[in-house]
Amino acid sequence: MSTAAVTANRGLFKGFNLRQKTILLISCLSVLLLAIVVSSTFIDDNALSTDFRSKNLAPSLEHPFGTDWMGRDMFIRTLGGLGLSIVIGALASSISTVMSVILGLLSSIGKIEDSIVSWLVDLFLSIPHLLLIILISIGLGGGATGVIIAVALSHWTSLTRVVRAEIKQIKTQDYIHISRNFGRSRWWIAKNHILPHLVPQFVLGTIVMFPHAILHEASVTFLGFGLSPHQPAIGIILSESMKYLSAGYWWLAFFPGLSLLIVILAFDMIGENMGKILDPKRAHE
Amino acid sequence: MKRSLSILLAGMLLVGAVAISGCTDTKMEIAGTEEITTNELIAAVGTHGGEPESGFNPITGWGYNHEPLIQSTLFKKDSNGALINDLATDHSVSEDGITWTVTIRDDVTFHDGEALTAEDVAFTFNTASEAGGSVDLSMLEKATATDEYTVEFELNDDQATFINKLAVIGIVPEHAYDENYGQNPIGSGPYEFVQWDKGQQVILEADQDYYGDEPYFQKLTIVFMESDTAFAAARSGQIDLAEIPASYAGQEVEGMKIVALESIDARGISFPTQPDTGEKSEDGYAIGNDVTSDVAIRKALNIGIDRQTLVDGALNGQGEEEFTGVDKLPWGNEEAIIEDGNVEEAKKILSDAGWEDTDGDGIVEKDGVKAEFTLLYAASAQERQALAVAVSEEAKELGINIIPEGASWDKIDTLALSTPVVFGYGSLDPTDLYLKYYSESYDPSSYNNIIMYSNPTVDSYLRAAITSSDQDTANENWQMAAWDGETGFSPKGDATWMWMATLDYLYIMDEDLDIGTPKIQPHGADIFGNILEWKRTEN
Repeated sequence: MSTAAVTANRGLFKGFNLRQKTILLISCLSVLLLAIVVSSTFIDDNALSTDFRSKNLAPSLEHPFGTDWMGRDMFIRTLGGLGLSIVIGALASSISTVMSVILGLLSSIGKIEDSIVSWLVDLFLSIPHLLLIILISIGLGGGATGVIIAVALSHWTSLTRVVRAEIKQIKTQDYIHISRNFGRSRWWIAKNHILPHLVPQFVLGTIVMFPHAILHEASVTFLGFGLSPHQPAIGIILSESMKYLSAGYWWLAFFPGLSLLIVILAFDMIGENMGKILDPKRAHE
Repeated sequence: MKRSLSILLAGMLLVGAVAISGCTDTKMEIAGTEEITTNELIAAVGTHGGEPESGFNPITGWGYNHEPLIQSTLFKKDSNGALINDLATDHSVSEDGITWTVTIRDDVTFHDGEALTAEDVAFTFNTASEAGGSVDLSMLEKATATDEYTVEFELNDDQATFINKLAVIGIVPEHAYDENYGQNPIGSGPYEFVQWDKGQQVILEADQDYYGDEPYFQKLTIVFMESDTAFAAARSGQIDLAEIPASYAGQEVEGMKIVALESIDARGISFPTQPDTGEKSEDGYAIGNDVTSDVAIRKALNIGIDRQTLVDGALNGQGEEEFTGVDKLPWGNEEAIIEDGNVEEAKKILSDAGWEDTDGDGIVEKDGVKAEFTLLYAASAQERQALAVAVSEEAKELGINIIPEGASWDKIDTLALSTPVVFGYGSLDPTDLYLKYYSESYDPSSYNNIIMYSNPTVDSYLRAAITSSDQDTANENWQMAAWDGETGFSPKGDATWMWMATLDYLYIMDEDLDIGTPKIQPHGADIFGNILEWKRTEN
């Protein structure tokens, strides 16, 4: 920790202090991710159309990620796939956060409510996650909506657990007892004493959930559930690329895989640095 | 913890994807690779769907459309598609076309040494008829053995095409048939079953007592792999023959040659010909389509789409244009073939029929209905995906919006009565036409007349064709059903389907492998059809 503090202010951006640097890093990464989402929404059908005269081309200036077996530009396909992944990630994170807020606060009300919530969490955690997603998506009739809803509905468990533990800890604090003795209702305490303490957990939890949701979406589409094989989704792109590896078309797997990795890492770094800013105990790391 | 796990997962996806080709090269273990003698052949060919799920049982579909290897059939097709005797020595049909008498060879034994008699033949067909497998035997009333080497087939319909059924069902032994027959088949074909390692391979050995020509290859190992894996295995010298994807046509491998076999395996789009009235099938699936029920839409697509572009692009050049689904067969009608790729003509057909683009979005409308439909394709079939996507892009030019959607067959089955589907057909049996276009063939539990086509003129030609025992008359009527100068199921007439192309099947094989004159390749291909002619040439 001490060495980190000494080395932290060297190198680039000397003029900034640690907090500014962290914020700078977060904003850069956020802009990158936002750029992916925004540009992916501008992809129209024409950009993704096939061009059989230029199929299986190695990466070049015209096609930075090469082209696939139908002559589609892999850069645009990857962008489209990542955009979809991030949107699904955002949806999953926000739904999960809302659910964990509700369930977390519910568990703080009383013993019965608490055991119902933990029973629900245990129930969902006991089913392998990928299996749960596939089950829900098939139950909803498959398709893109099936996958999106399934990913969105299956990520709330761990955050709910964290929130519940946090609440349990907060509830033992003296001021809660005092407030209770002053005659405040449980709901009032939950709203005014507990919720504010949970905000950093929610923010962090939401961001850290992104990579999870994205990877799950990629895995499910990789396995062939949900989307049609001609649509751009990162899992579909990767599973399709496997068919061409023995023909030596390495770029089909490499660039989309690398992009996925970069997106995941970006979210991860945002989460980590956000933690530094929000958590007073770690603010000087 | 969670964080590092997700990074690890992402990394694994990436590394795993890149490394997998290496794995297939090194980890694939195939029995018999230690020492390959010249009269052994290791092949990875799909022959329709690859490994048969229910085993090597002709009753449940093994060998239908392709050489069953282990079993033998009463008749066979030669390399021109003409019928020749195999187990049968002679056959005759009664005046009314109802009773068929077939005499069989008296020198045939099953691989277990028991003699093959007329009883076995009758048993095979009766069982197959009851089982209702992939071969349609609804016209067969019953088969009876009148003496040791004579079988009598009694039909309930005078279909002259019945003889084609006798050429696709391998004969099974009555004494050794039970529900597990497919796992341990005994037949009378050129190859004896030795071993089946499920999910991996089946090993066959030449039967020394086989009544026909002796095969050059004494041992035949068929390994089950995905076609891209098969290519990698062929390149590393583990297998001698592999079916490969069309996109691999340009690859070069030392000591191996790539052979493309033309086929009659056509890919076409089914157009539901009835409008959507809200009616449902017995299973509760929607019926009819308001867009494709308009003949103008179907005709415009048939005329406007350039098939050669589809072949060159979507099929990587590995195929030929197809217009009626049976162009290359004796019952195909040359008159029914149209000049395609004519966008102007297609647009004219649409506007004449009242399809106009009124809201300026590039898609035509008529009476408030947009010229738009979903096109389903089997998600596992790459060439269908490519065709669907390519057609949808070409159709935009005509002002028709086709939305391709990949799905599993289970899902397609629920939608096929109301939604166009990319199907594959290619049979040496003209009965296929009857099942596809005869109005009464419609049966929601199968793909028969899935478009609910009904044209009395076409019906009468089809009926005349299927009941005609004279081959020429039959072919003439099949052709008239496609186009008689006024109507028909072909693009010139009702444009019921849009046939696009027939596929070439692509194989990579040892340089010294001589596969003789291959037979006509049906749906799913039949490369082993002439296995008895195969040999290795001396170097």
